[in-house]
Amino acid sequence: MIVAGIEPKAEMVHWWFATGILILGLLLVAEVVVGPEVWGRRPWRRYLWPGLCFLLGVLMWPVMALYTNSMIHMVAHGSWAQVLMLTGGAELGVVRGKLHSQYWRLTSVVALLVSGTAFLVHEQNGWYFARAAFLHHALGWTLIVAAVFPLAQAVRPRSVVAASGFALTFLVIAVLLFCDRDSAAIFGHFSTFAGVPHR
Amino acid sequence: MRRALVVTALAALALPTSAFAHASIQRASPGFAQRLSSSPRQVVISFDQSVDALPKAIVVLTPDGKNVAGTPRALSAKREIVAPLPRLPKGAYTVRWQALSNDGHIVSGVYTFGVRVPAPPVTDAVGAQGPTRIEDIVRWLYFLGLALAVGGVGFRLLVMREAPPARPQRRFFWVTGIGIVGVLEAGIAAFLLRGEDALQLPFSRFLYGDLSPLAQGTRFGQTFVVMELGFALFAALLYLAWLLERDSFLWAAFVLGLVFVSGLSLSGHSAADAGHSWVSELADWVHLSAATLWVGGLVQLALVVWPSWPELRATAFRRFSRVATVLVALLLCAGTYLSVLRLPHVHDLWTTGYGHVLLLKLGLVCLALGWGAAHHFLAVPRIERPGVTGTLARTLVGESAVAMAVLLMAAVLTDSKPPPQQPAAKAPVAVSARR
Repeated sequence: MIVAGIEPKAEMVHWWFATGILILGLLLVAEVVVGPEVWGRRPWRRYLWPGLCFLLGVLMWPVMALYTNSMIHMVAHGSWAQVLMLTGGAELGVVRGKLHSQYWRLTSVVALLVSGTAFLVHEQNGWYFARAAFLHHALGWTLIVAAVFPLAQAVRPRSVVAASGFALTFLVIAVLLFCDRDSAAIFGHFSTFAGVPHR
Repeated sequence: MRRALVVTALAALALPTSAFAHASIQRASPGFAQRLSSSPRQVVISFDQSVDALPKAIVVLTPDGKNVAGTPRALSAKREIVAPLPRLPKGAYTVRWQALSNDGHIVSGVYTFGVRVPAPPVTDAVGAQGPTRIEDIVRWLYFLGLALAVGGVGFRLLVMREAPPARPQRRFFWVTGIGIVGVLEAGIAAFLLRGEDALQLPFSRFLYGDLSPLAQGTRFGQTFVVMELGFALFAALLYLAWLLERDSFLWAAFVLGLVFVSGLSLSGHSAADAGHSWVSELADWVHLSAATLWVGGLVQLALVVWPSWPELRATAFRRFSRVATVLVALLLCAGTYLSVLRLPHVHDLWTTGYGHVLLLKLGLVCLALGWGAAHHFLAVPRIERPGVTGTLARTLVGESAVAMAVLLMAAVLTDSKPPPQQPAAKAPVAVSARR
């Protein structure tokens, strides 16, 4: 039993990652508010969000490997680990000057689409079954729809609307993650099958 | 004031209430892989949330597949499922459980326990069929990934020592990057396939299958956890080496890769079968590491140096030829020792399935060695002559292909059971269907 005793509760891990996503979103919002020129005056600032994204990807691997009480969760965590590393890695490459094409921004599109699909696939209850189901659907569709923002940024890198949308996506995701609570009611109990709230 | 606000906000963020999740086992009695001194009166499975007991919520199977559990029922605010048991004779037992989670999903799982005998690993639960051909292929891809990643980095540090120009550098990172992604993906696939075999569930139910007894209670699962984490770190280091152009990250990745390759040696035949010792584990690690470096080096030579760095061809070929000589010597010594350990009688080679695969592998190894010897003794002295490098490009690809075929045989051998070395097995095995 190599993980007995060291495995934090699932809810703790959800919130830690929500915190990471929230900081990621705040960094992106800050860049949009002051503009890329001002943001880039201190070169290290440009490494902040891609570096944090990559780090969140690396930190997602222990979640994938240690939380094996459901196969579908394991696969979902593994896919998030990989797309976070992919997006953060590609953006860091662009910032560092190792990658030159603006189309590397498309890795964010892939990341959002894969992440959203993973959320939707691993929740098989309907929208209003319970708060967890509602949040899974909300998270999944938010991520999928938000893929349009990095897609627009790949075509129009200086679009403020696209940059704002991309930044706000992470804030929304963070808020949704902070709201999670397994079978608590969402807008009251819509389904009698949802059972009683617990824990 | 501002600092206090930030600290308070971060503390608040780190203290959650609860999150979405399906019902998970909190405790089971008898426990996973527990050895009991007397028969238990009942099986109790406790969950972290309320569940409904389904028909056959708990099934306790004897080695011949007979269910001995009574009718299960839910207790303690529906957080526990209990099934009574008759007095169990000495032997190994498999528990298969299922419950309707509060969120409407059916969660399922399997584990084993033993009464006055050691519990078999969950991979040997009643109903499990053992590794399939698909698992052989996945394991082969895993070995190939290890060779491309760890062997590739080793080649870059030990053979391709000069700072490479942009093109070979890019190719090197592509090849090793594909390798490490292959390791991570094949590792997950291998774990899921083994879990599917142990759980014996239809796909829709397998989605919510509990894999924790496999991950935490078997050498295979523990190796999966440790190696996935290790090679995720390897991937991060490889990426940093590319991003920052620092060889120190490559050295760290190389050492880490060699260390984590040992996970296979600590969980395979050399660590679990009859006659195992620290020497067999060490020999297995040497065998695997040498093979990884040899195959990975060949691929780097064929796919990176030859097409993209003509100036280094002759130097790299000579250097690799020297390194490969040492690697092949280690490979042969460790491989011979392990073969004798697993097949103590020569006739085992042609009378057992394991022996047949080993013979095939030996044949391929001889072919690869002959190929390598031709390179070492014939090609190296003539490498500066015109036209030789063009021929070598093709023969290097050929030798790499044979080396990869050797890895395929190694994958099949790893998933196969060597013949028993004692007339009567001491530890009971709950499953009889084994290759």
